[in-house]
Amino acid sequence: MGTPLDGGSRVPIGCPAKLRRVTRKKVAPDLEGWLSLAKARYAMGAKSVGPLQYASHMEPQVCLHASEAQEGLQKFKVVRAGVHAPEEVGPREAGLRRRKGPTKTPEPESSEAPQDPLNWFGILVPHSLRQAQASFRDGLQLAADIASLQNRIDWGRSQLRGLQEKLKQLEPGAA
Amino acid sequence: MLEGAELYFNVDHGYLEGLVRGCKASLLTQQDYINLVQCETLEDLKIHLQTTDYGNFLANHTNPLTVSKIDTEMRKRLCGEFEYFRNHSLEPLSTFLTYMTNEFPAQEVCTPCSQTLVTMFLRVQVNFHPVKRCSYMIDNVILLMNGALQKKSVKEILGKCHPLGRFTEMEAVNIAETPSDLFNAILIETPLAPFFQDCMSENALDELNIELLRNKLYKSYLEAFYKFCKNHGDVTAEVMCPILEFEADRRAFIITLNSFGTELSKEDRETLYPTFGKLYPEGLRLLAQAEDFDQMKNVADHYGVYKPLFEAVGGSGGKTLEDVFYEREVQMNVLAFNRQFHYGVFYAYVKLKEQEIRNIVWIAECISQRHRTKINSYIPIL
Repeated sequence: MGTPLDGGSRVPIGCPAKLRRVTRKKVAPDLEGWLSLAKARYAMGAKSVGPLQYASHMEPQVCLHASEAQEGLQKFKVVRAGVHAPEEVGPREAGLRRRKGPTKTPEPESSEAPQDPLNWFGILVPHSLRQAQASFRDGLQLAADIASLQNRIDWGRSQLRGLQEKLKQLEPGAA
Repeated sequence: MLEGAELYFNVDHGYLEGLVRGCKASLLTQQDYINLVQCETLEDLKIHLQTTDYGNFLANHTNPLTVSKIDTEMRKRLCGEFEYFRNHSLEPLSTFLTYMTNEFPAQEVCTPCSQTLVTMFLRVQVNFHPVKRCSYMIDNVILLMNGALQKKSVKEILGKCHPLGRFTEMEAVNIAETPSDLFNAILIETPLAPFFQDCMSENALDELNIELLRNKLYKSYLEAFYKFCKNHGDVTAEVMCPILEFEADRRAFIITLNSFGTELSKEDRETLYPTFGKLYPEGLRLLAQAEDFDQMKNVADHYGVYKPLFEAVGGSGGKTLEDVFYEREVQMNVLAFNRQFHYGVFYAYVKLKEQEIRNIVWIAECISQRHRTKINSYIPIL
């Protein structure tokens, strides 16, 4: 769907239906995740799955990476912490690598993988706790997708408003 | 063999048995649970609980009411009842109910001691009988050690410890760096001392070793409790031994299930299985080699009592193995009340009350998360 104006400028309004679908998809794993946590507390004991089991400071396992897509829109992607984002691996980076050589890359410093948060609750955790972790992981990726879609829709709306303003200005002149 | 249990039991323990049977009658009924699952908010739940034997146990709590507060208050209530039983009990029931508080007769070994004294102490302790409270003490020790790993303050964790497992040396648990420190400096005067002799091999207290320590401590405690009940004989042994055998087998199955995909080796896993129960020894040997749920199920199929339990896993209600084991445990504990003149009624009552607390907390979680599809997954008791 688009609006031809002044030489055929088209404004893709975005996909509100897709946003609703993805938002609904995000809600489901979140609900399942919290319920799975409740099930884990049922199996392990209420005090065995709670703030006592984790430190107040923790290293993130995943990071949110923002990149610029077409039309200058920001797109969000969830990446593993310590992994180089795709945009950083470009000719410049390859050039740096060529200059410094493979032995001087920062990989050894970031090779220590962050500890699996599941281990905070013990080694022999029930299946429900693993399910909760998987649900929240899925939810994270969906959250990034929703943010990207929301950006796209907001951009589309602002473009449409701009074009409608232009149209209003043109119409009295035409009359 | 009923050597006069029915003749002499009531002299010393009749009052408490009558009391515990009265407490058992006040457990929530199916109608109570039907009312609870219809609640829309935690405040509604609180109002419905006021009409039961719980009464105004949440009266002192102001908004917002949380699931954690409900759980804490119910545990305090259970602890109060248990302490009343313990304080009014005579031997050997008091030994069945409690192991050691400040008055426990081990003061002759009152300072951290050399290996020789430790050995003597352990020989003495073998004859003292570990009881129900030890399982809560083990949980508290592990909670404190985990908290030390996560650099939590002792005060924060002490508030969350199970009240039935409190002992005076608890506050010092977090300073220990190795199991030897933990034993020599802290736990030597507690009821947990005898159970440590099997757990001294781990060097450092990291997550894996704490898990191994927890399970080995619990294994030692369970074996000692079983031995005590068996040696006591009488109706107590007839009621308690099958219950404890089921507990041992359940632990073996659950440890096996939870160890799939972890760093726990098969050899380490086998050392955590209690050495009694229906599965001991052939079943445990097969279970140690299992690599997935189906192989575990094949082992269970050899036992008439466990085959139907494993077949009930999954199904339309989405029951887990823990759920079916809890159901079986409730059945056995309810049946314990069908016989008189034994100490098993006290154990059974505490276990049933714990299941009731789990049920109410589960319903409260479903209400607070507004996720009611599985709100009926509690286990009715009466």
